[in-house]
Amino acid sequence: MKFKLTILAFFLTTCTICIRGNAQEKGGKPKFESISHRKSGITFNNKLTEDRNNNILTYEYFYNGGGVAVGDFNNDGLEDVFFTGNMSENKLYLNLGDFKFKDITKSSGVGGKNSWTTGVSVADINGDGLLDIYVCYSGNGNLESRRNELYINQGNLTFIESAKTYGLDDPSNSTQALFFDFDNDGDLDLFLLNHHIEVINEIEFDEARGKRHPFAGDKLFRNDNGKFVDISEEAGIKGSSLGFGLGVTASDINGDGFIDLYVSNDYIEPDYLYINNGDGTFTDMLTEYLQHISHFSMGLDIADVNNDGLVDIFTLDMLPEDNKRQKLLYGPENYEQYALMVNRGFYHQNMRNMLHLNHGEGVFSEIGQLAGISNTDWSWSALLFDATNSGFKDLFVSNGYYRDYTNRDFLKYKGDYYFKSAVAGEKADTLHLVTSMSSTPIPNYFFENNGNLQFRDKSENWGFSQANFSSGAAYVDLDNDGNLDLIVSNINQPASIFRNTGNETKNFLKIQLKGEHENTAGIGSKVFVYTNSNLLYQEQMPIRGFQSSVSQTLHFGLGGSKIDSVKVVWPTGKVNLITSPEINTTLLLEESKGVFKNKIKEAKRKVFSTSEIEFHFRHEEYGFNDFKRQPLLLEMPSYIGPIMVAGDINGNGKEEIYIGGSKGYPGKLFEWKGGKWTPIESFLVDEEFTDSDAVFFDANGDGHLDLYISSGGYHDYLSTDESLQDRLYINDGNGNLTRQHGQLPRIRSSSSKVLVADFNGDGFPDLFVAGRIVPGRYPLSPKSYILINDGKGSFRDATKAYLPDDGVLGMITDAKGMDINKDGYPDLVLVGEYMPITFLINQNGQKFENQTTSILPNSPKGWWRKIESADFTNDGTLDLLVGNFGLNSQFSPNSKEPLTLYFGDFDENSSIDPILTSFIRGKAYPFPSRDELLDQMYSLRSKFTDYESYAIATIEKVLGRDAMKSASTLEVTELNTVFLEQVNGKFEIRELPVEAQFAPVNAIHVLDYDGDGNLDFLLAGNQSRIRLRLGVIDASLGQLFKGDGEGNFKYIPQIESGLNIKGDVKSILSLPSDPKSLYFGINHDQVKVLEFK
Amino acid sequence: MDLRKAKYFILFLLLLSEPLKASDEPTIDLYVDNLFKITEVMVTDVASPPAAARFYAYSTLAAHLAFEIVGGSDDKSKLFSKSSLSVDYSYELNNGIDPHFASVYAMLLVGKKIMPSGYLLDEVIHNLEKEYFKNKKLRKKGLAESKRLGQYAADQILLFAAKDKYAQLSTHTRYTPKKGEGHWYPTPPAYMAAVEPEWRTIQTFFIDDLQGYKPLPPANFSLEENSSFQKQLMEVYQVTSALTDEQKLIANFWDCNPFMVQYSGHMAIGIKKISPGGHWIGITGIAAQKATLSWSETLFIHALVSMGLHDAFISCWEEKYDSDRIRPESAINKYVDKSWKPLLQTPPFPEYTSGHSVISSASAVILTDYFGENFDFLDTSEVYFGLPERYFNSFQEAAEEAAISRLYGGIHFRDAIEEGVIQGKSIGEYILSLIKNAS
Repeated sequence: MKFKLTILAFFLTTCTICIRGNAQEKGGKPKFESISHRKSGITFNNKLTEDRNNNILTYEYFYNGGGVAVGDFNNDGLEDVFFTGNMSENKLYLNLGDFKFKDITKSSGVGGKNSWTTGVSVADINGDGLLDIYVCYSGNGNLESRRNELYINQGNLTFIESAKTYGLDDPSNSTQALFFDFDNDGDLDLFLLNHHIEVINEIEFDEARGKRHPFAGDKLFRNDNGKFVDISEEAGIKGSSLGFGLGVTASDINGDGFIDLYVSNDYIEPDYLYINNGDGTFTDMLTEYLQHISHFSMGLDIADVNNDGLVDIFTLDMLPEDNKRQKLLYGPENYEQYALMVNRGFYHQNMRNMLHLNHGEGVFSEIGQLAGISNTDWSWSALLFDATNSGFKDLFVSNGYYRDYTNRDFLKYKGDYYFKSAVAGEKADTLHLVTSMSSTPIPNYFFENNGNLQFRDKSENWGFSQANFSSGAAYVDLDNDGNLDLIVSNINQPASIFRNTGNETKNFLKIQLKGEHENTAGIGSKVFVYTNSNLLYQEQMPIRGFQSSVSQTLHFGLGGSKIDSVKVVWPTGKVNLITSPEINTTLLLEESKGVFKNKIKEAKRKVFSTSEIEFHFRHEEYGFNDFKRQPLLLEMPSYIGPIMVAGDINGNGKEEIYIGGSKGYPGKLFEWKGGKWTPIESFLVDEEFTDSDAVFFDANGDGHLDLYISSGGYHDYLSTDESLQDRLYINDGNGNLTRQHGQLPRIRSSSSKVLVADFNGDGFPDLFVAGRIVPGRYPLSPKSYILINDGKGSFRDATKAYLPDDGVLGMITDAKGMDINKDGYPDLVLVGEYMPITFLINQNGQKFENQTTSILPNSPKGWWRKIESADFTNDGTLDLLVGNFGLNSQFSPNSKEPLTLYFGDFDENSSIDPILTSFIRGKAYPFPSRDELLDQMYSLRSKFTDYESYAIATIEKVLGRDAMKSASTLEVTELNTVFLEQVNGKFEIRELPVEAQFAPVNAIHVLDYDGDGNLDFLLAGNQSRIRLRLGVIDASLGQLFKGDGEGNFKYIPQIESGLNIKGDVKSILSLPSDPKSLYFGINHDQVKVLEFK
Repeated sequence: MDLRKAKYFILFLLLLSEPLKASDEPTIDLYVDNLFKITEVMVTDVASPPAAARFYAYSTLAAHLAFEIVGGSDDKSKLFSKSSLSVDYSYELNNGIDPHFASVYAMLLVGKKIMPSGYLLDEVIHNLEKEYFKNKKLRKKGLAESKRLGQYAADQILLFAAKDKYAQLSTHTRYTPKKGEGHWYPTPPAYMAAVEPEWRTIQTFFIDDLQGYKPLPPANFSLEENSSFQKQLMEVYQVTSALTDEQKLIANFWDCNPFMVQYSGHMAIGIKKISPGGHWIGITGIAAQKATLSWSETLFIHALVSMGLHDAFISCWEEKYDSDRIRPESAINKYVDKSWKPLLQTPPFPEYTSGHSVISSASAVILTDYFGENFDFLDTSEVYFGLPERYFNSFQEAAEEAAISRLYGGIHFRDAIEEGVIQGKSIGEYILSLIKNAS
């Protein structure tokens, strides 16, 4: 058995290598050259020996790995290297230059003690200009064995352990120490990251949260003249045993001059985002700053990835990239458990890496998936540094876990060992069970920053294809050649030394900081490098990644640009400004030469601000879980409201507003009365309906606006539910609307949109009603309708005559009426789920003809959800903006690698089985997890009796040959929200800025906010009613894009637009009488009103 | 097809060239052991308790049917004529059939077909054939004929199984926990989804109208001092806080949780056990062996007990998702003691009535009627899972202990146990009345 597993592991490894990334560039050497341990002399190997006392059952962080630290301990200009060994001796290697190192562990006296060793920090703790070493201990030993150690540098490459003297011999189960000056008093204080060593049962969560644990809780020590004093409690540092801290770094996250902390916690406890209050205390502001976070948070880094001068937060988790490992990991989605955890205050946590893009002022958008760095498997260290000297920080991620515990087959079948032992009459040995578990090494990741918030996987090209189990890592220019090299600690394998070959030949600037007080390295300083094209920003904080300490010489790649100036802001507030420094060298900046500068805070005027207008309406949802009805849906189709429409029904010059309701919560009509919006109580709509759209128009030609409300939703509606009937409310001439029965034909489509236009040219307004979905029968196409007005407000169903395919046109989400061919008859543009952008041309008022292929050849199929038209190019023709799902998810299809939805009643039980496939690393696989699919199709239970067999299955294997033939399919080739420019009666697709792809777009508002005569637009959306596995998409806060009149748009940063709208925005309304006030309809939330001046 | 309309074409048994001799008859161990192979597959697959009962019923029925056909029966057992099953007996019997082989073979074929990992029985079937052929118990033609009959019996049963609404289960809207106090919600540590919320839609064998066996409603949810619910809640809390070793043993012995999840950090292991129905199938086999039943008797009583289990589970599951009552673990954690944990892991479905109580008393009624009031036995059903054997003076005693074990285990309130016992008893008695009073 064991042999078999090894073979399997080997096979997997080789497979991973051949698929991942691009093949190495031919002829060229990889960017990073691995220096063998024979050549370098660095033979350190973090060797683990599993035995009865030391194993994953006696200490659950047994496979987390060791740390790496770099620092120039003898001030000879070459940075030396230190490793922690979990079970083996720590090692110090003296850098001899040219990638030659000498093991001086013995002579220097830093080998450490025989206890479980974790993280390492390098800092000049006593301010004597010599770097000291602080080593953390944990494990299941006694209190003494866990006391951390402080090695004070004696200046002659010897160290003396002095932890007790400094008050730093803390016996916590420590992961990492972080030295920083939190009170800006010029000396270094300490944040100690700890973890619990016992399993905490779910029911003990609440109790554990309320208590400070002496060894598991994190701690803050203030440096009082060389004595470190534990001030955790008074400083507001959480000390619960639930915080399984795996990563910490410090950064001035909110830019107020006081250094903040981010702590990543494994398991259920949310991460902590400690904002430094500047008065010696911290407040965890995580839920205010971030909308969702990594679940099993591990290592992390905080750095500016988009050169806007704001630090972004990147946390690691465990989600694999490849299909097989994902499928082996995913069990059933558990909405009840998730809801319970959220209700108990454990917040929105999802298993994947998160990149929190900083907009400033404590506002963030999580865009890890859009950035392409969300799936790096079981990951430990994240380091953001400029490996290419391009001016943008690239990303290295170390990963690998020694045993495949999260494999679902392990959960389901490994327990059989117990009764098999009982049957065989043997004593069950749990240690044997866990140590016989399979072991899958995986290669680390290296991503190149493309400069547009997106990263490209360069692992293979850059020389990171070896599969192993890597943990701590540090970057440093080991040979002072102007390129950052990399050191990585591995389990049961020598540490890796990677030489950056620097074959890009680009410029750099290194900066060394010299503080004037005890904080000699200027930890916490902010360094701004202004080039002619960019702002490069770094903070001096060596503790990054995982259990490690990076170089304290700051390294700025410059690409081809020139430096205008360099600015350093020290924690004490002093500032140095250097103009036009020499490049490709090291710049020494001394705090003593800095000056105190008053911070000038220029409060920039924002475009939007909260309006004084109040609109008291809270949209409510009953809370149907659509996934319980059709378990293979990706999004919940019930959640469509609120829609908002305005019209002056009483002719008083001020519009009334109808805001739509959902099942159980009827919509309401509001009038402007006494200076505020007041509901008209006499107007009642039935609460069975879910309003999908509405329109005020004069249906009967009496000169008064009537109201048509289309019915949509999914909920528990039958496919032909009476509650899908649209409704017509006729105005009595005095602004009273009354529902008229019998003037509309029978409509049994759950619709999305109603359009008013005189389709047949008889002078009376007709209607197009767009079919969205068949409740319970997704993804079957519902019927759309053409309703022809007899002039008196009675409508007949003329669908058959007017629409192709008897109105069965797809799952339409939105439609636009416009006269494209300028023949005087309104045409239709339709968008929808799995639909191409579809153009139906009106044939002289007789019927519509689909002319998509000539108007927009290769019209992309998307998960389109919104369409808006306006003349953005000032050429007298209407252009289109089409809102799509965006790129901030696990999906990024194109025409070569589409998303394909296979559907049919494959198991012949009268329910539709919709199975999505998506491409992962060049091959299409079913999206559902095994449990989800087997819950939908019982017949597959015998086909995939374990997770392993399903993990490699393609759709052909799942369905079999016959079902493949009978299956219907739908496709998606595009998820970008796009701009379509109208040119000569045809449309051309134009890309929008990447920010437009942050989230699904449900609402588009066109405006000219700056009055320059060129139209701008605003996008809003998000999706929280989505599969748990996909996770809430909430990166859009309402986004403003400025048009130049030529079809080019510029994203206006949130801090300038002033938009910060959280939640699922479904509609934006402005009134003709007050176009500068915008009403945002947010699902299951209060309407928000903003204005611009 | 209604049995009364069925035609019987049974060829005269005397035509058999190798009439069976008593000495040729294998012991019933052959049947019991092969039935356990089916149990093993269910354990591997983690078949839910109601699903397991369904699997047992169809496999044992196939064995029973094959044997009946060879015996020239026109359903003297009444299992077919008095149940919703309809069977076509018109099978042309040829020479050389071994009824023992054919019945076990039929049973394994059904198991193979209806269980997800049924393919695991391929090896068992292969071994059975090899054993018969090698030991010359069957020649080539006899083997072929026996297999043909086994296949026929299996097909007859599978035909019915295909129409029992099981395939439609996945078309129902999945269970969503109800809002409001006192309702069931998934329980720690795995918060597994509700098991088989639509099981009431499955075709029963004997019960026509589930409403006829509906227990009294559970005590109203109320936390008021001295309300029935509050008292029962405190009873679970107090009893479980002071368990004797014997009570702990009883709770564990009757745990019968097909899948208990144990966590240790990122590591989770599922510990599997036999289902409650599996335990009673085990007891039936033990009793049959102790009473040295004939093959025909053994096959009959196994099929009857299995059918009883199936109907009892459907009746119980109807009530569970109708009353949708909170589990003691959720209620105690919420209202009494947030760190209380039951001895047994709470199974993933609503509390009322106790499934083990219902099916144990239904089974005990049937077994007592067949084997007698004071039939004592040594229950070794759980030895396979590393639990000790346990002695009982009667089936009734075992059933009562199984019922009360749920209180000790901290997973049921008293009324769910007591009403469950009544519910199971009346189902068992009703089935007996149909079978025994049949004319």
